[in-house]
Amino acid sequence: MKKILCVPFDPVHDVGIKIIKAELDKYGHDTKLLSPDLTPEAIVKIAASDKFDFILVSRTLGYGVAELLARFVDLLDAAGVRETSKIVIGGKPITPELAAELGFDKGFGANSSMEEIVAYIEGREITLSGQGLNRTKKDIASKYDYSFNNLEIEALLGSIADKLIDWAKTKSSPGIQRAVIREKIFNATDQTEKDSLLKEYYALCDTEIINANTRGKFIKGVRKVTGKELENLANFIKHRKPVDPVKIQHADNHPLVFKFLGSGCPIMDITHAKVCERYGIDGFLVINPSWEARFEGLIEGCLTHENDGTITSFDNIKLLRDSLDSSTLLTVRAHRGLNTPETILLAGLAGADLAKINLVYGSLGAGTDPVRLAVDGLYAIQLAARFNMPFDIPGNDELSGVPAWKSLAGLLINVMIGKKLGAKPILKPLFCYGPHIVINGLMKQNYIDYNTAKILALRSIVNSPIWPGEPIAFMTQSEERVQSANANSYHAALAAGLGVDVITVASTDEAYSRGPICVTSRIDTIRAITDAYKFVGNASFKPTPRAEEFTKMLIDKITEVLTAVEARDNLPGAIYDGLLGNQEDGAYPGTFGAGTVN
Amino acid sequence: MKRALDSVMDAIDIETYLVCADPLEGKKLAMQLGTELNLGEIDIMYEEFDGYGMRVRLRKYIYKPGNNYLYLENIAPEKEGDL
Repeated sequence: MKKILCVPFDPVHDVGIKIIKAELDKYGHDTKLLSPDLTPEAIVKIAASDKFDFILVSRTLGYGVAELLARFVDLLDAAGVRETSKIVIGGKPITPELAAELGFDKGFGANSSMEEIVAYIEGREITLSGQGLNRTKKDIASKYDYSFNNLEIEALLGSIADKLIDWAKTKSSPGIQRAVIREKIFNATDQTEKDSLLKEYYALCDTEIINANTRGKFIKGVRKVTGKELENLANFIKHRKPVDPVKIQHADNHPLVFKFLGSGCPIMDITHAKVCERYGIDGFLVINPSWEARFEGLIEGCLTHENDGTITSFDNIKLLRDSLDSSTLLTVRAHRGLNTPETILLAGLAGADLAKINLVYGSLGAGTDPVRLAVDGLYAIQLAARFNMPFDIPGNDELSGVPAWKSLAGLLINVMIGKKLGAKPILKPLFCYGPHIVINGLMKQNYIDYNTAKILALRSIVNSPIWPGEPIAFMTQSEERVQSANANSYHAALAAGLGVDVITVASTDEAYSRGPICVTSRIDTIRAITDAYKFVGNASFKPTPRAEEFTKMLIDKITEVLTAVEARDNLPGAIYDGLLGNQEDGAYPGTFGAGTVN
Repeated sequence: MKRALDSVMDAIDIETYLVCADPLEGKKLAMQLGTELNLGEIDIMYEEFDGYGMRVRLRKYIYKPGNNYLYLENIAPEKEGDL
């Protein structure tokens, strides 16, 4: 137990020292708090009258304060207080250098934690968390059983999913075949067998992929990451000593916070990710380059790319996974293009935690032929189930102009397919200002009602995890930094109040499209959301009665859409017919891989 | 001695207010600022003219994806004291 004199050396601001005193009391120390109106001479008299281990002085800085503090330290010295007591200063602008300059033994500033202060008082080494984030990995899907509350919708979805699974039973694709071969290559121990399997694999690939893998002739802007670069990255991760991480969530039930990665370069992704982890980010989504969707086959190796999107390869995913803290979640986008099954396989083998698949959006907004993605997607979902990876279903078709009820109907179809295939789906409705919303003035009065209605509608239908994205605040952000951070924080606070499980957040340069996202812009929104979570705490926003009307409307319209889809022979037919988004909405069935299902 | 610029993780953003007569002059001054600060060509991320001047957010990329990141070099235990 230490004897501590707490000195509010400030006529007004004595809150900080009161909080510190209360904390030190909890730790069992003997503290004495002075009143804030004492003169320096009076304080020194009290300090000298007893043997205190520490004199904790709290003071904000202003003109002339530094001189005042230096004089105060001189008075303490002259009274012999320093012989028995350590003199410590705390206050927002205090830095260790400034404290030393003013003659104090130690200084604590705005970024100092209570843990640091207590550790110093108790003479312990100040705990820096090193590589660890002092948290455990969260299982987003664990508390959900996917039971349906809306029996009519359950029956429709059941029929749609059964018909699709039955339809796809006898079908395969080059994407599935490559995933099967890739797994054999992964497990093969004999080089001759591997070579023979690789030949089979390349027979199913486009020329660009074969050239890259066999001749090192890469697509423009792509190159292998060098051994030296990997070594430098390893040193960065290993030898830096990060400070204690920030926790974004103010309450235990606040949503986890994810950010995108996909600068093109896995090294840049990882350096950004390591910084974001320290600011409390819970997980990352890796976005691949758009050209990858057009090609049959994937490039192998640890690869960097000068443009948007980090290349999907086992080595890249593994490098990301191994570089992140074990508590940080990683999800890999798989539903774009012709490599969905193989992407899930590589994600699973490399230890990713989740995968991103939406059979409907992948066919409507992301370019893949609906038949191909239906066949590939079913196989991919089964793989996800095998690897025990929940799959997240983004509703980003809304950004093309598809009305929310069609997008939500698509998400629910994926949920039922996932449920039937033993996987763990996660609903990702958009928290945004999408084109359909703009045109129809659905958010003219506020941004709360319609976003709230989406969550309430889904929750009234099925007991599934909900993860608004992707990212939240899409189309409400500008390139202006403060506005962008604010937009993210308001949406995050709304999401927290609604009790969703996870959110994906943007950066304050998300709307700026002429270059990669920068780490400071990433931190901007994390800080904004950390404050937003603190602000909303265990409270919530109060929607207007219109939210209830929207909720009912969404449920009715989702039911209508699913009824129409169920009347078709299979899901791809319904997508071709525009039932889940049509040309008028701005959605077009994709063409990549058309005619390749056998 | 290592350069501070090499230690920038990716980009430098400059936020400032440029006193100018109109948006055109504001943009010109913003671009000129990059040159005067020896940053070369910079991007205007955001601009907002209000009659007296222009609030701007400017960006200079030091590293783009796939570059050789100098800040990752020479990070080893024996070098830590120098960093």
